[in-house]
Formats: sequence, structure tokens, C-alpha cells
Amino acid sequence: MSNLQKYYKQSATYKIFTGIIGACNDFLDTLGKITQNGIDFFKCILKRQINSTDLVEQCNRFGITSLPITLSIVGMTSIIVASQVALEMVKQGGGNFVGMLMTILIVREVGVIMSGFALISMIGSSMASELATMRVTEQIDAIKVLQVNPIRYLFVPRVLSGFIMMPFVTIIASTVGVLAGAVTAKFSADLSFRAFFDSMWLGIYMKDLWVSLLKAFVFGGVIALISCSCGYYASGGAKGVGLATTKAVVWSFVAIVILDMIFALAFFF
Amino acid sequence: MSIEVKNLIKTFADKTVINDVSFKVQDGETLAIVGFSGSGKSTILKLICGLIKQDSGEIITSDGDIAMVFQYSALFDSLNIADNISFALHERRDLRNKYTEQEISKIVTEKLALVGLKGIEKQFPSELSGGMQKRVSFARAIVTEPNTILYDEPTSGLDPISSTLIEDYIVRLKEETQAASIVVTHQMSTITRTADRVIMLYDGKIVFEGTPQDMLKQDNEYTKQFVTASLEGPMRMMA
Repeated sequence: MSNLQKYYKQSATYKIFTGIIGACNDFLDTLGKITQNGIDFFKCILKRQINSTDLVEQCNRFGITSLPITLSIVGMTSIIVASQVALEMVKQGGGNFVGMLMTILIVREVGVIMSGFALISMIGSSMASELATMRVTEQIDAIKVLQVNPIRYLFVPRVLSGFIMMPFVTIIASTVGVLAGAVTAKFSADLSFRAFFDSMWLGIYMKDLWVSLLKAFVFGGVIALISCSCGYYASGGAKGVGLATTKAVVWSFVAIVILDMIFALAFFF
Repeated sequence: MSIEVKNLIKTFADKTVINDVSFKVQDGETLAIVGFSGSGKSTILKLICGLIKQDSGEIITSDGDIAMVFQYSALFDSLNIADNISFALHERRDLRNKYTEQEISKIVTEKLALVGLKGIEKQFPSELSGGMQKRVSFARAIVTEPNTILYDEPTSGLDPISSTLIEDYIVRLKEETQAASIVVTHQMSTITRTADRVIMLYDGKIVFEGTPQDMLKQDNEYTKQFVTASLEGPMRMMA
């Protein structure tokens, strides 16, 4: 019987099965920790435990320092999309709707989700690696021993800055995206600015604007919360910092795609 | 009595790291905890200051703060030295509005002077040597006037002269604060220069308890092996 067990434990089936169980366990563990940190964050907010100096510093980091890369990504995505569709639509007689199509696409999806991706790669990863380094160098332990609440000190300014700044980033990025689309349509399909901007408002409603801002608000907070949580629970030295950063990026990407799908189903289905 | 540890047990995964450990440390006394790497010394400190929770047993501490000096100082690298030392005064809920900025600045200068450092308030930890970082971490630890100070390998990675300096400051801080101190160390010089009593851990259990002089007598087979740094003896390093 023990031999049978030994052979079974060496089998591929056993290894695959235990691998899946381990991955599920890790997934639920991470989800639980993120949720717990989220609850603790909101408790601090309700108690108004906010350090305004740290908040301003993090808002600057989240919203200002990230702006060049965010605008570049959203702008270039708009150029790519406009160069693909504008000429074809003009050829098919739909030139008057290029502005509408681009605006719907940018306001509803491209502006917010590409800004999210840019912020994950630039700010989320840096938050995760910063907290992970603090964890492996015992700085977080030092914060706890000094009886300072690490959620209030580390999470509140970072996550709150995500909630606050992401809508602003999205507004600016979407504006740049629409302008980039107009310029691209002008040069690739000889579509006048007037034709582009006249049709811009045909498919856009107030609902699109506030859903986009709501999405940006949620995405910003979720990106910062996931990134901080993944960094906060890092372990194992330099390798642990790398793993925590990767985990933060992957979890944030997946989370905002899932949330985007939920928003799409909830508001546009 | 400042700290009393009763029948402490801590297990990680399947390994019992601390196995029924009990000891007391009085105010103004320094206890050295020695043992091989992985014998559970640092785990005891983390249990006492609440960073991890025990599986069973009791840790009784007097009212007041517990401070800890970390092995690699654990200074906040994004803050300058003054902000590192005053961190608790600025961020801790019960201390946040207790002092004015002028008072905090005075406290920082006083604590830095106590560890023999002056004029480095605006520097950052990365600009200091390992020994200076360690002394800054002493200053940060005593800023809340704790009645218990825990030192996790305070002289590791330092040259002999810096080690002696650090050992002198451990003694000086004990005399200044009358705090109960626990020093986790591998180094005999730290034990003989700072400790009033020593306990030795092996395999999660206390295998020796006595004074540094008792330890040097080598009539215990565990301390004999430790003091002579011998491979022969009851203690076996994990492969």
C-alpha cells in the first residue's frame, strides 16, 4: 500500500492535481488579503486617518509623473485605430461617422483601459516593489513595532491617490486620444476636422462620460490596492520583490479587464 | 518584572521552532539569547514585540513601549535621519499631537547625541556607514522611551571596533533608560560586555541558563561547544 502511495505521488496526475490545488489556494489567499486590506483601508478613511502631505506626494506620483507615458500610450493607440479605420470608412461613404466611432471607442474603452494599463506598468509596479522592498528589509516590521498602523501609513495615501487621480488622468488621456484620432483621420483619409468633430457628439451621451469616470475611479483604487497588497506580503529577498511586482502587475491587469467586462455588461449590455 | 515568557511554543509548517521556552527579564537587566542560526532566537524577539503570534504560551510585559533594534537597522530609506528618529512621534496616534515641531527637533538632537551622532539630521540612511545606521536605529528605538528594548544581532556585519562601540551603547542605553533588554547574538564579546544573564537555545529549547561567567566555565556541553566553536558536541548544524 505504501509503495502504491509512493508511485501515485510521483505520477503526473498527482503533480498536476496538487499544482492546481496549490494555485487555487494561492489565488484565494491573495484575494482574501487584498479584500482584508481594502476593508482596513476604508476603515481608516471613515476614521479620517489621512496624512495630507503623503496624499499630495502620492497624487503627484500617480497623476502627474505618470502623465507623459499615459498620454503617449493612449495617443498612439488612437493613432493606430484611426489609421486603420478612417480611410476605409471614408471609402465606404461613412466618413461623417469617423469622429463618432473614435469618440465612442476612446471615451468608453480606450482612454480608461489604456490609462489603466499604463498606470499598472508604471505606478502599480513601482508601488509593489517599494512595499516589497520595505517588507524584505524589515521596514514594515519596524513600522509595526513603532505602533504605527501600516495600512494608514502605507496604503491610505497610495490607494486614495489612485481613486482621486485616475479620473483626471483618464479625462486628459481621452482628450488627447480624440485629438490624435482627428489629426490621424485628417492626414490618413483627408477627413476634415469639421467632419470629425461634427460627428463626435452623435454617439456620446452623458451616461458614457460618467460611466467612464466611474470606471477610472474604480480602476485607480483597485490598481493601487492590488499593487500595495502584493508588495506588502512579499517575502524572500530580491527574488521575493521580483515575484511580488510581477504578481501585482498580473493581478492588476486581470482585475481591470474583469471589472471592465462587468461595467460593460452592467451599463451597455 | 518587565518581561515574562511562559511555556512559549511556535511552529512554522511542521517544524517547532520554539518549544516550551520560559524566562523572565527584570527592569534594568540585559538577557542575551544565544544559539546557532535557525535556533529560534529572532523568532522569540518577534513573538515578544507582537510581529508574530505564538501557538501557545504567554508573554507578559509591563505597561509601556517595546522597542526593537533590527539586525540590518531597518531604517526608512525614503526618510532622512531626523524623520526616521521622529517617525513614531509624527505618525503614532497617541503621540501625533503631543509635541510641537521644535520639541520634536530637540528630542531628535538629544537622541542622536546619546548615540554619539551629531549634525546628520538631514542625511539619508544610504549616506551612512553600517555602524552609524545601527546607532541611528538605537536612537529611533528609544525615542518613545520604551521600558523594553530588543536587539536582534546588533553587531552582525560590523568590524570589531564598531561592534565594541555598539556594545558600549547597549550598556549605556540600559543605564540611561533602565529598560529591560534582550540581546540576540552569536558573538561572545557582545555577551560578555552587555549581558547580565544568558540563555542558550538549541532545537527550540533552552539548554543553558546562567551568567556570562557561567557560560565561559564550559561545564555545560552545549555552551562548551558554542564557546569553543567546535564541530564536536551535542549540537548539530542543519545540513
